[in-house]
Amino acid sequence: MKKMLFSAFVFSLVTGIAVQAQTLQIDGSTTVGPIADAFAEYFKRVHPDLDITVKKTGSGDGAAALVDGRCDIATMSRFMKEKEFKDAVANGVFPVAHVVAMDGVCVVVHPSNPVGALTTAQVREIYADKITNWSQVGGPSMPIVVISRDTSSGTYETFDELVMAKQPMGPGVEYVNANPQAHARVKTTPGAIGYVGIGFLDREVKAIKVDQIAPSRQTIASGVYPVARPLFLFTNGYPKLGSMVHRFCSFYLTEKGQELVEAKGFVPLTAY
Amino acid sequence: MNLGIRRTLDRVFTGLTGASIVLLMLVLVAVLGPMIYRGSGAVLFGGTIEFRKMQRDLFNRADRAALEAEIAEADRARQVVYDMIDRFKKGIDIATMSSEAREINREYGRELRYRDVASEEYTEAREVARIIRDKLEEAFSSQDIALIRANVAEVLAQKDEARFKGTVAERFFSLATDFLDAAEHIDLSHYHDYLVALDEVEVILFGSIEHPGLLGPRPNQSARPLAMTSYGATRWDRAQALLDRLLWAEKWVEKEPGQPLVKARSPRAALFHDTALEPLFAYVPEHLNEMLRPRFTVYWQFFIDDNFDSHYFGGVGPEIIGTLLITVVGMLFVVPLGVISAAYLVECASEGPIMRILRMSINTLAGVPSIVFGLFGLAFFVLFLFPKLGFEPKACILAASLTLAVLTLPVMIRASEEAIRTVPRSYKEGSLALGASRFRTFVTVTFPAALPGILTGVILSLSRIAGETAPILFTGAVAMGPVPKSIFDPTRTLSYGSYDMAVGDRLAMMVPHNQYGMVLTLIVLILVLNAVAIVLRSRVFKKLKGH
Amino acid sequence: MLGPSADRRRPLALTPGEDLVGFIASYLGRAVLFLITATSVLAVLLILLFVILRSTPFLREFGVREFLTSRVWRPTADEPVFGALTLIVGSLYVSIAALLFAVPVGILAAVFLSDIVSWKIRNVAKPVVEILAAIPSVAYGFFAVLVLAPWMQRRFGFSTGTNALNASMILAVMALPTIISVAEDAISALGRELREASYSLGATRLETMVKVVIPAAHSGIIAAVVLGMMRAIGETMVVWMASGNATQIPHPWWDLSQSIRTMTATIAGEMGEAPEGMAHRSALFAVGVVLLLMTFVLNIVSEYFLSRAKKATGKS
Repeated sequence: MKKMLFSAFVFSLVTGIAVQAQTLQIDGSTTVGPIADAFAEYFKRVHPDLDITVKKTGSGDGAAALVDGRCDIATMSRFMKEKEFKDAVANGVFPVAHVVAMDGVCVVVHPSNPVGALTTAQVREIYADKITNWSQVGGPSMPIVVISRDTSSGTYETFDELVMAKQPMGPGVEYVNANPQAHARVKTTPGAIGYVGIGFLDREVKAIKVDQIAPSRQTIASGVYPVARPLFLFTNGYPKLGSMVHRFCSFYLTEKGQELVEAKGFVPLTAY
Repeated sequence: MNLGIRRTLDRVFTGLTGASIVLLMLVLVAVLGPMIYRGSGAVLFGGTIEFRKMQRDLFNRADRAALEAEIAEADRARQVVYDMIDRFKKGIDIATMSSEAREINREYGRELRYRDVASEEYTEAREVARIIRDKLEEAFSSQDIALIRANVAEVLAQKDEARFKGTVAERFFSLATDFLDAAEHIDLSHYHDYLVALDEVEVILFGSIEHPGLLGPRPNQSARPLAMTSYGATRWDRAQALLDRLLWAEKWVEKEPGQPLVKARSPRAALFHDTALEPLFAYVPEHLNEMLRPRFTVYWQFFIDDNFDSHYFGGVGPEIIGTLLITVVGMLFVVPLGVISAAYLVECASEGPIMRILRMSINTLAGVPSIVFGLFGLAFFVLFLFPKLGFEPKACILAASLTLAVLTLPVMIRASEEAIRTVPRSYKEGSLALGASRFRTFVTVTFPAALPGILTGVILSLSRIAGETAPILFTGAVAMGPVPKSIFDPTRTLSYGSYDMAVGDRLAMMVPHNQYGMVLTLIVLILVLNAVAIVLRSRVFKKLKGH
Repeated sequence: MLGPSADRRRPLALTPGEDLVGFIASYLGRAVLFLITATSVLAVLLILLFVILRSTPFLREFGVREFLTSRVWRPTADEPVFGALTLIVGSLYVSIAALLFAVPVGILAAVFLSDIVSWKIRNVAKPVVEILAAIPSVAYGFFAVLVLAPWMQRRFGFSTGTNALNASMILAVMALPTIISVAEDAISALGRELREASYSLGATRLETMVKVVIPAAHSGIIAAVVLGMMRAIGETMVVWMASGNATQIPHPWWDLSQSIRTMTATIAGEMGEAPEGMAHRSALFAVGVVLLLMTFVLNIVSEYFLSRAKKATGKS
């Protein structure tokens, strides 16, 4: 009897007993991941028979997965590159971008740091290793520990473009692989400077003003804060109206969607 | 050399070797200690009434009647807090009060319309109501207590008018009285400061759309979009931390110019000195127990529950299933392949340069970073092999297990090879001499004798398969998804889940116990699997020795 | 039983003519076994091939010289520069530093397990080593970032806690189980005679160990060290979390408190985000090839010493 049950179990595992449910696969950026998670959880509750999976392997893999047809929706924290577009079109995939939310890249320091504002030029020189001590920008005499996101993340690219103006960072810059790590490093290191998404601002790190603008929902949404970017969902062509992909990709337009975006610590696109 | 010195040196040496083992044990404690300490917090903790509410709503698990009674009790204790805040708000929350005054005015007008009144009377009543409203609004926005008193007095003069008796307009007068009462007690020039301070208190107590609070949203508040903010502090340790934030205002202040700032804590109650809110800061700590009703909780369901809000609530059930599935399927591939390959390499193949190159390339795999295995698995199994075999080219358990099998194959081959090689020649020769074929000799003599060593290889590859993250990143792991129905579905796993929590969401920072809990579950699972294999090994060993 | 005496000089095995079925089965079995073995070996070779093939577009476009000599790793710039020197140095740097911690402790522990304690205590101490090997790397990573790094900042006043010291300490712990088990095998394989001879000449345990046993087992111990180094060089997730990943060569060279970046960390950190088909991605595979070559060399070294160790114990 036991053996029968066991073999039945194995059989069901191998063949898959259930009727193929409707599936929705989302793949891509770690930054946009939380939004996809929240949306997916909401969709799971509303459509119990929908099999929805979320993967966070990076924007680059998201794009590759869309091109390979491994996913329905690619989440990306940067726009697709020319090369990726070419590959996609060559494969008969026509990527369409949907902007789901905005994210500010906030420059943060340890809360014990009296420096409260820097100019873009100063931040750039700090990351280029030209300014190496806080006393050079009006702070205490403390070596600066410079923390950046890894060079291939979308967050880095935003920072590289809008703050560094594509100038190279110095060799002493430390790289961490995610927002939580950047937050943790700044929180525990008195001389640190780093940058994180706006959702990661809390009491344990201090966001400084850049060019006299403090990061906030308003300043980011209106584009006043200098380091902000949109977050994308990419689909193959505009999804068929009424399909699950379409519903998912237009969910951010609803009040519920905007609320979820905000609850996850991002800046919603529209005021509802 | 002096005998004494030699002896001392010898003792020192013996001591050092012992110390090295002690050091290893200390390292083990240092690494596992924080994991166990914080991770056990996912299962054992002081669960508050909010935890029980959450369990009822999200997991349908509660003694409903008892919980209702408990909630009623807790709400009674909480009502005092709500009242205190409402009373205080009456003095300072101008916007709310103004809109309330306007609302009363509108409603009064509606009421009048439904009643049968003469048109002049109607016009006059509405006129008076409007004047009252304006007077009130003027008073609300003023910081001059004399003007406020005058305005409120004018409003209250209308109190006994017959036309307002028994109508909604009576609320004008209670509003006016409350406001004057509050205005007499607070420093009106600090309206704005009070508002900011109150907002902070409210966020700590009731939470916001982004952050969960101590007591959870107020009963009449609109529903929050995420489950995590819809409940108060579910755990007593979390409640204590929030209470600390409520009682103490933190600020970084300059002590000496040119030096780093220092953290300064001041009682938050001082911000509300002499106001209606001051007693709150004595009431909350005193009655927190009644409001949250903490109870020691063993949340064993952590190991079977699904999670909510990216592991903010719930457990790791699907992750455990996924890890076990990937491990078992992976072992199904790696053990036979590894043992047979090892047997062939030892028994059949002749030593020579080709053998040596083969062995070398197998060993070189140790230097391939695990993420490359993941990319290989994606390119070879998912995108190349699956379509050839007629499967959908999609990341799934099978692909992940195959990738992990390739990853651990060298370990398995090496361990089995070593084990088979160390079987004494005399065993084999004895068997062959008795006329058994080589195949038979291997199955009945060599293999059982080598079994303990092979099982060691199984243990090693088991730990590796269950614990690896990078190879399954592209081949079969997902951060969110349903429990797999077959091996052609992708799955969540403990290893990828821990990694995802560490790099993904800000929420993970708020629930370190769940993060550590997942890592601890993974460690425990691997240790249990290891223990099973070790017990098996010692049994086999005993059997081999002939009891 | 074996039949007439005339056949005595014949080998024991039956000829194909006498046992056709057995003969065929034996060869068929062999073929099947060979196929299975070939599959697993093929899988292994495929991976090596995969890495090498994916790296060729980069090597063809950029050449090897800049790759191996430039210190600048700037893969996402408009004009990308791929200099892997810092990464190669970084990998070697942390691995060697890890060995500096792990080898003395490992050899002492191996001696302790093989020569000093009774069987019973050994059975308690050995699982400690095995558990260290079983802890998943994610757990070590967490420990490095959340416990060790802040502690080092507080205790030693380092400006950053995720640095070469942190990474090499963790790698040392991860390499220790390998080093201990291989070294212990080598030391205990020497047998009693050698030790007894030394003791009977009046040597203390220290002298026996340092002057007799360890020199005699040196090949095995070196192999242990090399295997430990392979483990340290190939480790990915932990280094990525613990080393700080600054693309620099420490200056001065002995300053372990600086952040550095290794090859594995670079691959793990950038592979997911690097766009398919761009030079960046295949440059990462080229880094993988360097890594492979390194482990290959280490492998040959360890193979050489292990076979010498085997010969040595075989003679005695």
